[in-house]
Amino acid sequence: MQVILVDLCKTFLGSVIAVDNLNLRIEDGEFAVFVGPSGCGKTTTLRIVAGLEQPDSGSVYIGDVDVVNLPPKDRHVSMVFQNFALFPNMNIYDNIAFPLQVRRWSKADIDKRVHEVAKLVGVEDLLDRKSKQVSGGQAQRVSLARAMVRTSDVLLMDEPLSAIDAKVRIQLRTEIKQLHQETKITTIYVTHDQEEAMTLGDKIVVMDRGCVQQVGTPYEIFHKPKNLFVALFVGSPTMNILEGKICKDENRGLMVELDGMKQQIPSRFCDALLNSNIEMVKWGIRPEHIKLVDGSEIDDTTGIVQVVEPLGSRDLLTIHAGHHTFKVMAEAEAVGHYNPENSCFLRFSGDFVHLFNAATDESLNGQP
Amino acid sequence: MKPNYFRMAVAYFVLTILALLVLIPIAAGALTAFKPSGIWVSSPPVWIFKPTLDNFKTILIERTQYMQLRNSLIISSGAVLVSLILGVPAAYALARFKFKGSSQLLGWLISLRMIPPIVVALPAFVLFRNVKLTDTHVGLILMYLTFSIPLVIWIMRGYFFELSPAIEECAMVFGCNRINALRRVVLPLVIPGIVATALLVFIFCWNEYLMALILSGRDTQTLPVAAATYVTRVEVEWGNLFAMNLIIMTPIVILAAIFQRQLVRGLTFGMIE
Repeated sequence: MQVILVDLCKTFLGSVIAVDNLNLRIEDGEFAVFVGPSGCGKTTTLRIVAGLEQPDSGSVYIGDVDVVNLPPKDRHVSMVFQNFALFPNMNIYDNIAFPLQVRRWSKADIDKRVHEVAKLVGVEDLLDRKSKQVSGGQAQRVSLARAMVRTSDVLLMDEPLSAIDAKVRIQLRTEIKQLHQETKITTIYVTHDQEEAMTLGDKIVVMDRGCVQQVGTPYEIFHKPKNLFVALFVGSPTMNILEGKICKDENRGLMVELDGMKQQIPSRFCDALLNSNIEMVKWGIRPEHIKLVDGSEIDDTTGIVQVVEPLGSRDLLTIHAGHHTFKVMAEAEAVGHYNPENSCFLRFSGDFVHLFNAATDESLNGQP
Repeated sequence: MKPNYFRMAVAYFVLTILALLVLIPIAAGALTAFKPSGIWVSSPPVWIFKPTLDNFKTILIERTQYMQLRNSLIISSGAVLVSLILGVPAAYALARFKFKGSSQLLGWLISLRMIPPIVVALPAFVLFRNVKLTDTHVGLILMYLTFSIPLVIWIMRGYFFELSPAIEECAMVFGCNRINALRRVVLPLVIPGIVATALLVFIFCWNEYLMALILSGRDTQTLPVAAATYVTRVEVEWGNLFAMNLIIMTPIVILAAIFQRQLVRGLTFGMIE
């Protein structure tokens, strides 16, 4: 069922703004991920959808119904909590059966359904165990089973993987995505981990300070960040950002003067720049888009390797060039070629350059 | 790591001395309870004698003090029941919701327990006499609630605090209203706390002397007040007094032995915040 949030506002203690006039539409069957740093309002928004927080103003539509005044139990949502929230006094079976027991299903129906779901998420062998006798990964599987045992309109997940070991986390991530592909249940997933957001989401909602910064597909969020916050938040290691002044070159058109080096501005930005009186910009490029080359082109920049961090298939290099320090992700074929103190040439391919208005941090929106 | 035997030995030695300091008078008293009236007090004390139940017969049958036992049971259990019924939901509310004045309310509750009872004894007597609650079970129960409800609230609040709110939120998302979530999920988890608190309140009411002395009368006298009557102007009826003491102590000792673990947990709980 689709979820529509209209003009949501929520403050805590009368002054801390958690959610600031949020509008959002999540389509039926979509996997939406709220991502942002802690305190950005993503969990609060989720809890408002669940009915665990009451917004100061605004509406929450699930399907066509405004549920904002309904208690959680009447909203047909189910939820997975960060700390699993298994009922410690019950065994795994009763935990999964709980939503059905509360709604007075018959014993036989409950039994059938619990086994179905337990099998689906792979906790069939654990049904007799006590809640305390399962590992974190298992506990979150159980909690997932409990959330899916009753057909609900929306599945809400509040950082479900952040309390789980790294290895199991990645495995569960795949399983969650697979389960969503099979069930097609509308899902809202909250995480602070941009990688998790990218891998899981059909739609990614990047939030900061209670506001939506950008809504888009993982591709859009990564390649066309709307502002500096999104650009810096998404991608690891983070985008290299330098501040510089726009200037004109007789032969080469618009250039940006970055302390100690000059770079040509890709033509796609020129219209926007010429039509405005922007002087200062922030110029950004992701570490994986910087090429290590032989220095044959005019804009290639010489640099000195400072640190080499091998990541296996690639090397993360810290390179000093101009008066700046760049993070560069060396491609597979360059792995092992560079050592500290080596000199090198960097090429910043115009196709991958991002420009932001230095005054507003908004992207200048050049189409690649 | 190798245990430090010397330190353990010292610790056990000190603890043994302390335990003996507490236990010897109790043991001597308990012995006296079974002594025939001639040798209650003698110098040197008699350690070997033929035990008799005469003292118990005297106090329970001749002086019908099973009535006081009954009064103590009614008042203590009544106070436990009412303070749990009122205190546990209050503790839950104070643990989960912040509202205007909630922290002041908590401070006020704990301050009730700081007042020396003697301060309120006389006003309480006048007050209770005016509303005709002196010499009634209800009157004493009411008086004890002033002290026991804050105790229940503070201890139980600690237990509720320790429970993640996610557990009841989870129950609420999956189909319970708050009351149902409390009943089905939260309360079963704090039963150890409730047991410990109940026991503490029971012990407090059972042992209470001052208020009982002032507010009870012929029909509602409790055991501690009755025990005190064995110290007369003429003599101290040692054997009867210690028999009485044994009757007062035994149920508490048994209860404490059964619920020892919850009791220790209850006492050290909620204090951490």
